[in-house]
Amino acid sequence: MVKITAMLVMKYVSEGADPIILANASDVSNFGFFQRPSVKEFVVFFGRTVAKRTPLNQRQSVKHEEYKVHSYNRNGLCALGFMDDHYPVRSAFSLLNQQVLDEYQKNFGDSWKTVEADVTQQWPYLTESLTKFQDPAEADKLLKIQRELDETKIILHKTIDSVLERGEKLDSLVEKSSDLSAASQMFYKQAKKTNQCCTVL
Amino acid sequence: MMSKVTVDPYELLANLENILDSDPHIEEVGFIHPSQFAAFDGEGAVIPSSSTGNTFEVLDEINKPKSEGASSFENVFLYREHKLGISSLSLFLLYNAAKDAFFTSYRSYRLSSDPLIKKAAEIDVMKHSRALLLLSSDFGTAWNSRKMIVSKKSLPSLLMDELHLSALVLSYSPKSERSWSHRRWVIKMIAQKDEDLQDIVQKESVFVKTIVGNYKMNYRAWSYRCWLVSYMSITQILHELQISRDWAALHVADNSCYHYRSCLLLKIIEKMHHDHVSDCLPHVEIRRLWQQELDWVASLINRYVGREALWLHRRFLSLIWMKHLANDDDQIALCNSCADNIENVSRFVKDELIFAQQCSIVPDNDFEDYEAQAIHSADYIAWLAKQMPVSFFVELEKSSHYETFKLLLYQNGKGSLWESMAASWRRSA
Repeated sequence: MVKITAMLVMKYVSEGADPIILANASDVSNFGFFQRPSVKEFVVFFGRTVAKRTPLNQRQSVKHEEYKVHSYNRNGLCALGFMDDHYPVRSAFSLLNQQVLDEYQKNFGDSWKTVEADVTQQWPYLTESLTKFQDPAEADKLLKIQRELDETKIILHKTIDSVLERGEKLDSLVEKSSDLSAASQMFYKQAKKTNQCCTVL
Repeated sequence: MMSKVTVDPYELLANLENILDSDPHIEEVGFIHPSQFAAFDGEGAVIPSSSTGNTFEVLDEINKPKSEGASSFENVFLYREHKLGISSLSLFLLYNAAKDAFFTSYRSYRLSSDPLIKKAAEIDVMKHSRALLLLSSDFGTAWNSRKMIVSKKSLPSLLMDELHLSALVLSYSPKSERSWSHRRWVIKMIAQKDEDLQDIVQKESVFVKTIVGNYKMNYRAWSYRCWLVSYMSITQILHELQISRDWAALHVADNSCYHYRSCLLLKIIEKMHHDHVSDCLPHVEIRRLWQQELDWVASLINRYVGREALWLHRRFLSLIWMKHLANDDDQIALCNSCADNIENVSRFVKDELIFAQQCSIVPDNDFEDYEAQAIHSADYIAWLAKQMPVSFFVELEKSSHYETFKLLLYQNGKGSLWESMAASWRRSA
């Protein structure tokens, strides 16, 4: 019963550069035993792909099968959440904004600005939040505290294709990505061939 | 000089079957990329303590090269903690070998008249069909051969084994229709023997819950769970409603789980109408249950704005309420002109209109959720108007919500449809 599969914090400052992972927490216990490593890879792949297309100070939600990837780039510090379709969008963003970004700034200040490579160390607070906010009612409590009337509109994408540039295809991004091992590529192709959904994100 | 040694697919098959024999508690099967062997193996294989054979030894044997220069069977099977991974590279070989072996033994079983040969073939059919189904989940003949053999014996443990195999197949192919239908067959076999199904049905319901938690949009799993309802007692039904409530509240986009609730509730109504059945709830209890469910859905609708599945569930609840429960006595109110009936309709309509009115307020357009909510509320009222007696429409037309409601329908392209329905109602009212 996992409503949030993963949460990421990334650095994405200059357009064109690849986003860098600052923190990564995921819960893959709901997936088949042999699929779990691939799911983790897909979280990274999709996270980087969506973050790269989330301009400064913009928020967007991308629907992929029955998951939604919510992304908020706050001045170069980007928080992403991989949630089930059921998870209310408002709750998701209040979680990413307050629980994740606010706390990250509090803990790490501006040190992230000089990070040049993916951080592999766990941020325990993020993993705890993943568990705590499985029930969107918890995230709703954050809504009550949020006072700032955010002027930024949230862009909703019905498919991942609409986030990509014209001419870009998800298949070729998957093939070229260094985030995905041969095994994950195989899972992806298999799922497409059998027209299966929900095998991987 | 050793010539190039090719892998013997039948030896691969034998090794697969040995692993399956050595661990009766195997719970998951998956197909993996050869590169994953290193990744998984790093943590070491765990030896099951309760197995009849020693799986580690079996694997050791498999992985030892048969002769110098020969390719070993390394990186074909990965076994850990009752989970079996099979290399995708070997799948085709294994599948062909399993299919051949199965058909050979199956032919022998069906055509032979010698009891000894038949007995040996029977064992082979069970062994090979099991391997085959772990490679090809919907192989009908394999499933049916097992049904044929098991139905000739009357050992309940054999039926449990079939459930176990089906669960194993579902672990890699959770939507496999034949696997689900095999489970139905087992339940029917048990029911035939007049045995107590309560325990089994309970376990099966829990099993479905695990599967749908892991693999979403699994219509077949939910169908099976709905099918189980016909075997449930009233106590079980109430229990199911209770325990699936929290899950449903966290899966508000999943229409199937609400459909399951409506299956359970409908069964309660059915039992109510069979007077000779002792296993039913008193009318007043059912009404209380219904009111509870209506209130609960309303709170979810308010909380999870714009969720169609919730509105669809409310349609079901409202319809049944009006048709069977609104009146105080057990008689189905067929008389539309009864004063009591009109009173009840009026009260119900007013309440639902107030609710729909609240849901049609659109404070902002940020997420499209309030908009969706408003449209769903209008569709809901329109649908009710069509299902209910004309008195519903009469009330609706008089209400303060009517104009907003019509506007929403027009926005959604259903304006003229509504007008034509409304015109015919006005004529008959």
